[in-house]
Amino acid sequence: MSGVKRFVSRLLQLVFVLWAVATILFLIFRLMPGSPLAAYIDPTFTEEQQRILMARFGLDRPLFEQYLIYLWNLLHGDLGESFFYRQPVGERVLMLLPNTLVLSLFSIILAYMIGVVGGAYLAWKRGSFVEGATIPFVLTTRAMPEFWLGMVLLAVFSFSLGWFPAGGMRTAGSEYPSLLALYTSGDFWRHLFLPALTLAIYFHGLPLLLMRSNMLDVMSEDFVTMARIKGLSNWTIVVRHAARNALLPVATSLAIAIGYQMQGSVVVETVFSWPGLGRELVRAVSASDYPLAQGAFLLIAVVVILMNLLADLLYGLLDPRISHA
Amino acid sequence: MKNLFKATTAFGLALSVAGPVFAAGDEIREITIFSRPQAAQPSEFQFVQLIAQEWRRLGLDVNIEVMPWEQMADIVWYNRDDWDTTGWQMVGRPERSDPDELIFNLFHTTTAPTGYNFIGYENPEYDAIVEAQRTETDIDARRDLIHRAQAILAADQPNLMLAHPQSTFAYDNTVWDPDSVIDQGGIGIRNTWTFINLEPLGDQRDVVLNSTDNVQGINPLWISGGTDSWITELIWDRLLRIGPDGLPQPWAAESYEWLDDSTVEIVLRDGMTWHDGEPVTVEDVVFSFEAAMGDEAPMYSPFVSNIADIEIVDDSTLQFHLNAPSAAFLTASLSKLNLIPQHIWAPVLEDLATRDEENAEDYQEEIPIGSGPFQFSSWLTNEEIVLEANQDHFSAPNVDRWILRIVPNTEASLGMLRSGEINFLSDYPGDPNILIEIAGEDGDLEVVSTVDMGFRYVAFNHRRPPFSDPAFRQALSMAINRDLIVGAAFRGFAVPSNSVISPALAFWHNDDVDEFETGVEVAQAILAEAGYEVIDGRLHYPDGVSETLGE
Amino acid sequence: MPSETATTTQAAYPSRLNAFVSGLWRIVRSIHLPLSDPFAMIGIIIYLVFFLVAVFANQIAPHDPTEILFTESYDLAADRLPGEDGFVLGTTSLGRDIFSQLVYGSQSALLIGLTAAAVVAVIGTIVGLISGYFGGVVDMMLMRLADIAFGIPFLPFVIVLAAFMEPSIWNVVFAMALILWRDTGRVVRSQVLSLRTRAYVEAARVSGSSNLKIVFRHIAPNILPLSFLYGSIAIGWAILTEASISFLGFGDPETISWGYMLQDAYASQALSTGAYYWFIPPGVCIVLVVVAGFFISRGYEEILFPKLKE
Repeated sequence: MSGVKRFVSRLLQLVFVLWAVATILFLIFRLMPGSPLAAYIDPTFTEEQQRILMARFGLDRPLFEQYLIYLWNLLHGDLGESFFYRQPVGERVLMLLPNTLVLSLFSIILAYMIGVVGGAYLAWKRGSFVEGATIPFVLTTRAMPEFWLGMVLLAVFSFSLGWFPAGGMRTAGSEYPSLLALYTSGDFWRHLFLPALTLAIYFHGLPLLLMRSNMLDVMSEDFVTMARIKGLSNWTIVVRHAARNALLPVATSLAIAIGYQMQGSVVVETVFSWPGLGRELVRAVSASDYPLAQGAFLLIAVVVILMNLLADLLYGLLDPRISHA
Repeated sequence: MKNLFKATTAFGLALSVAGPVFAAGDEIREITIFSRPQAAQPSEFQFVQLIAQEWRRLGLDVNIEVMPWEQMADIVWYNRDDWDTTGWQMVGRPERSDPDELIFNLFHTTTAPTGYNFIGYENPEYDAIVEAQRTETDIDARRDLIHRAQAILAADQPNLMLAHPQSTFAYDNTVWDPDSVIDQGGIGIRNTWTFINLEPLGDQRDVVLNSTDNVQGINPLWISGGTDSWITELIWDRLLRIGPDGLPQPWAAESYEWLDDSTVEIVLRDGMTWHDGEPVTVEDVVFSFEAAMGDEAPMYSPFVSNIADIEIVDDSTLQFHLNAPSAAFLTASLSKLNLIPQHIWAPVLEDLATRDEENAEDYQEEIPIGSGPFQFSSWLTNEEIVLEANQDHFSAPNVDRWILRIVPNTEASLGMLRSGEINFLSDYPGDPNILIEIAGEDGDLEVVSTVDMGFRYVAFNHRRPPFSDPAFRQALSMAINRDLIVGAAFRGFAVPSNSVISPALAFWHNDDVDEFETGVEVAQAILAEAGYEVIDGRLHYPDGVSETLGE
Repeated sequence: MPSETATTTQAAYPSRLNAFVSGLWRIVRSIHLPLSDPFAMIGIIIYLVFFLVAVFANQIAPHDPTEILFTESYDLAADRLPGEDGFVLGTTSLGRDIFSQLVYGSQSALLIGLTAAAVVAVIGTIVGLISGYFGGVVDMMLMRLADIAFGIPFLPFVIVLAAFMEPSIWNVVFAMALILWRDTGRVVRSQVLSLRTRAYVEAARVSGSSNLKIVFRHIAPNILPLSFLYGSIAIGWAILTEASISFLGFGDPETISWGYMLQDAYASQALSTGAYYWFIPPGVCIVLVVVAGFFISRGYEEILFPKLKE
């Protein structure tokens, strides 16, 4: 299959998945028992006012018509209006998305830095005591509930030692001319560190184990053996030859990891009072604010799906040997 | 194994008492009690467990149903025939300093079908008294009526009243002068008076507070979340404000005077301006009330329904003519409505009037404009709200900025208070003992607890027997030791209660209803007297009464 | 290794019963409990211990985990330190015995973990087998379904589900059944694709064996370790997910789980009071059970991909 054709087919697949996810979401929110307005309608409202609201959210129409309206609105980027805030959902979730992305991105980069270096080192030290002790340790970090790890880090580094702030994204009342100015400020990084570390500790196991096994694969290949025969030092072999080749598949896993990370941020954002999409989703679900919950969920799903696509394309690009039959 | 054992003994018991025929009604069905989850409402969850344990000792089969607020409100409010008992709460608000709202709305027959009397309490004698207090303008005579109403409630036990919790707040006493902090009766130190009066001791001139809830909207015509009202009270002025003593006092109105039973004359304060520089006029005041009297601000309309018309006398004087005399008018209306600028809201309301499905609650000003002691500066979604002191205000604050941080969890709020990230703990749903302990270690923190005018209780559904029987309710209520509840569910930070009027409102609270005896034995005696019987460990209705509801 | 199962294919068995018994034995043997790997052994031992604790929970736990405990003077027995008044790990702020909750927590953990693992492994394996062996339209449709499942963020999905359904620990299992078969399904499929071209499968087909027979006799046994690998990972996922959901307040308030305990501790400000005895043990238990699953899965990995071990 040619590159262009492949790209088009992947794109079609993306549209299909997006449509399917949106439809599933619609069905979940509309077919579940209970009036979606129950929580929203204030006890002081009259029946007439309730009727008006139902009409306003299109809830008085047949289900199929509601579905078509929903899809039509989605195509126009209209995610409806939040029950709770009485404001357009789209605006709100788009405003929160960068905060979640920057947290995910930074923690992933941190995780991959630790993971790649650690994995290469472990492969190099194969069979040693270090390797024997490290692997169960790495597996253990992956077995920890993220929120629990976050709680412990918060208790130690913020509450007890006072090295880091207890939550939020910036100091109270600080003003920045733009998002970029905020994201590059020292104050922001001080706030970012603990939540990012929590996610990175949880996530570094994947690139680490992947890197290690790829390294082992590559190191058994001919050109490495050749290098060895040539008398190159072990470290040179590891860095120059093996690591470079082992890195490719690890890099492609990065895109998928960002998608996964978006999900992990749901709990971490709650622990660290991070003003992101995950916290908003949790809040919206517990307040039965369905349009908002739906919007936040869709946006997370879109990032996940895009990252899957990116990983897929990268994989094909970096490793032409893979056939996609 | 254990269960099996229990089952066989119960079976044996049943056999041994099967002989004689008892003159009793049907066995009372399984009754349910609703509670919100522990995570959301730890005290409610706990007191519901405790109450269920005690009721079971009376021979009732009690089923606890835990559900989130939305679901609970849906059943209790909209499906009024479908529940037995539920944990519930009324929160304190400055306007509730006048007893009318609670004493009337919660129990008057007219509010039973769709209003706040969701329990379906009906008592003509009570109705007459609470109607009379509304129009009684002599304050001592009115107090007698309010006391009588409380006595009737104590006898009827329409609800199982539990406690008035204490609100607990804290602030950094190296940043804020403790003498400048004002404790408002029934509300606590987190109030408008404190924020205006707060005196900085050092360089930190920003008061930084916390809220566990997100801000829903900053809108003078929408009564939204509890946190939102802290902000609206600061940005918008009202004609009167509820003072720290719980009584209304002149604010944007320089003075007020009752001309007769149903006419109040107001003199507007001179020289006030909106935050955009325009002057505040009597026309603005009339506009503010008429906005609520129209269709676009439904949540405020109950508070102006008694206004017949508003007459402009001159540039600074206006008269409110009421449909009927109202003792609570000053508190419930003049201290409640926000003054809004006509030049901003008139076009907005006109536009909204053309659209059937939207009203003023859907309109969020980009920069909210009021005339209050603080003016809007910025709002970062889910992060913080910043207000700046309005130095032109007649009661200008001493602080520079008022910054509200959104911190969803209590642990983080405490951490921030200790590290100085916030310097005023304005929202603390946690255990006050922990706060006090931390303050003791820290040394710089001042903790203030105030008995709330709000209260926690278990509501009985009078539409469903056996809860329609006052004796049955009495028994269920007396079975519960309030001190135990205060200790075990509120960790000592509450006062036991038998009245919807908090002891914090000393003038209105009837002390006579506070003393009553509790215990399972007391409850059993009441039930026996009313003809209820325990057979095989299960409570039965009095002779001749059958169960109409069970499955 | 896997191909050794192929040697006896031609033997004719006298009766269907015999065939069944031998088939069963084949399956049991092909689970290949990775007993030779020391990590896997540790994992199995951890499971065994928690399994025993779960089974004998009401013998081990001194109290009902949800019972509100009182002192003799009818005071609430809340916030007791470990050892105080005979409470091994102390009591919660609402007067429940922490140790008893910990013991009973193993029941829900194993219940959720093992059912979720079984569900994920079974659904994923069946999908992978069908998809890989039959190919064509069936394969296309199943793999598009997998694409959709991959497009759904898992934890947010569980949260949304939990909001609509009665709070229950089974929500997590249900959500995993709906979503997480995808990984197993894809991997099994690609394994089947490579197996079906193997000589002995071809041979069976030529000799007239039915599709069903080929799938279950020749292919499935070679797939099982892979299914178990993913199953043992799913145990961890299920327990971690349940904990997260409980922590966010969407858990089942009537079932004591470790996630519920952590949520309770957090809501009761165990961090501020320094009640480590309350929020550390449930976390450690979760880590132990989940890591045991990982250890066992590593054992399977080494059976499946022996070159890592060399």
